Amino acid sequence: MNRLGLPNLGVGVGLRTVHYAHILETTPDVDWFEIISENYMQTQGRPLHILDQIAERYPVVMHGVSLSIGSTDPLDREYLRELKALRDRVGARWVSDHLCWTGVAGKNTHDLLPTPFTDESLRHIAARVREIQDFLGARIALENPSSYVEYTSSTMREHEFLAALAFEADCGILLDVNNVYVSAFNHGFDAREYLAKIPYDRVVQVHVAGHTRHDTHIIDTHVGPVEDDVWELLTDAYRRGCTAPVLLEWDAEIPSFDVVHAEALRANVAIGKSARGDAA
Amino acid sequence: MIDRKPEPKIDAAFELRLRERASAMPAGMKPARARPPTVTRRSATDAPALLRDVQTWVSDAVTRPLEDGDTRDAERVVTGGPHLSATDRLDLYRWGYHARLVECLADDYPAVRHALGEDAFDTLCHGYAAAYPSRSPSLNSFGRHMAAHVRANGGAHADFLEGLARLEWALGETIHAPPAPVLALDELQSFGEAEWAVARLPASETVRVLRFDHAVNRYFQAFRDGDAPTIPEPQPTATAIYRRGFTVWRMDLTPAMSGLLASLFAGATLGEALSAIVAHAEDANALAEAERNVMVWFREWVAGGFFARVELGGR
Repeated sequence: MNRLGLPNLGVGVGLRTVHYAHILETTPDVDWFEIISENYMQTQGRPLHILDQIAERYPVVMHGVSLSIGSTDPLDREYLRELKALRDRVGARWVSDHLCWTGVAGKNTHDLLPTPFTDESLRHIAARVREIQDFLGARIALENPSSYVEYTSSTMREHEFLAALAFEADCGILLDVNNVYVSAFNHGFDAREYLAKIPYDRVVQVHVAGHTRHDTHIIDTHVGPVEDDVWELLTDAYRRGCTAPVLLEWDAEIPSFDVVHAEALRANVAIGKSARGDAA
Repeated sequence: MIDRKPEPKIDAAFELRLRERASAMPAGMKPARARPPTVTRRSATDAPALLRDVQTWVSDAVTRPLEDGDTRDAERVVTGGPHLSATDRLDLYRWGYHARLVECLADDYPAVRHALGEDAFDTLCHGYAAAYPSRSPSLNSFGRHMAAHVRANGGAHADFLEGLARLEWALGETIHAPPAPVLALDELQSFGEAEWAVARLPASETVRVLRFDHAVNRYFQAFRDGDAPTIPEPQPTATAIYRRGFTVWRMDLTPAMSGLLASLFAGATLGEALSAIVAHAEDANALAEAERNVMVWFREWVAGGFFARVELGGR
């Protein structure tokens, strides 16, 4: 159990439309599903109808991409109201989003843009997290995004900022070990050193995913199976005290549900290695 | 004139084509060019001082048109990495931004994309993103201006493409429309002839009646069937988009059918709407056929959930 009192749900799978029929017809033995919150907002049609049925059968967690917690625009109250209504409708166990901003001056890039790691950003984001948590009546978790730039103005490393933010705002962390791997390559830092500095009592969930490697950079595409290096980071995180549930994200060239689920269940092998003390 | 009864067409497969968000970069985005990492170290005073200034600068850089060259002065704001310069790193976001929005519009408008060809469609989308940047947390509504955009920028076939865009947008709107009570067949049979004359039948939330200058639905169906349709010659047509349960259907409408529905949805009584058909019927045979079929049409329309309810005694 983490500091937020949220349960370890086991190994989950990101819910995607191509798997709707299979899940409803066969009720596969999956521990839990994570939904992308925005896929069920600003719609009253079939997506919500499907989600209602899935939420009746499985624990559901909400993961958003549009909270834009780091933006200097005012918080979007209508978005928050809709987020809360969806959370209540499906009984989501918790709500998460990303340590990022998606736009400014009302213009949305729909990307997870990294924030400068400065004292100003820390104060700004911590205040907004507290405000959102008050509104939702529950603590949220923020995920380290994959990033492709760092700012000249940053005065902290990402893991330092994330830990400080979780403390200042009293929120949870969604630790994406694939994103740690991707960002470590793109920025030239040591992924294991990053994991060593994470306050695991605040980690409520872990993400794993595939990525696309180029000669000069790695893109977080959520395509294909999880690379061995990323599984080893999951083992490392568990060895360092992580107890959070693990979820696989697969968003491009999505295979059958059974293939995705089997890939997700490899997390149990990685976690088992940490318990046995195998080399990661 | 009255054609044979149009067959409804199912669009169940379309429902899998829902706009789905992910916390990932588009898999098909163009990779960055490899250039030497930037080694310039600017003093802190060169960089935007406040978070707001940094965000404004980055947003402008990321959303700039792709043909607008390199992102100038990137080193002021972002650092070079081990393998890429500051400019190339920032351009990953710029390419991702445009790729994501093109991907979104391609999901919403697959037939328009087919009609235009991929390159022309991409160019159209880049212009669209510049003209109508997203201001919503959701991408569901991002493509809503495409019909107007393609009418202004669709070249020689702009009229046809505008209609095709309206059809494709209506399909998405119908999918996302809230479930709402609709008039049931049982209710239809509970009214007497005198009541029908003054009855109003407002449209349900899940029906759209669209009129076109071309055989847009026929083109769309051929596209859906995997054929390679060519852009048709001008020809007035009309199509109803509607949802039965959570499945979306399309039904071609004859001029009499679309005229009747348009009148009803505009608030006319059934008597007024039928009188309008009589007034505009082009020949006696067509009128007779309309009179014979009107009850069949109504049964199908009611079964399809076209009407929200029956209103008697004024608006």
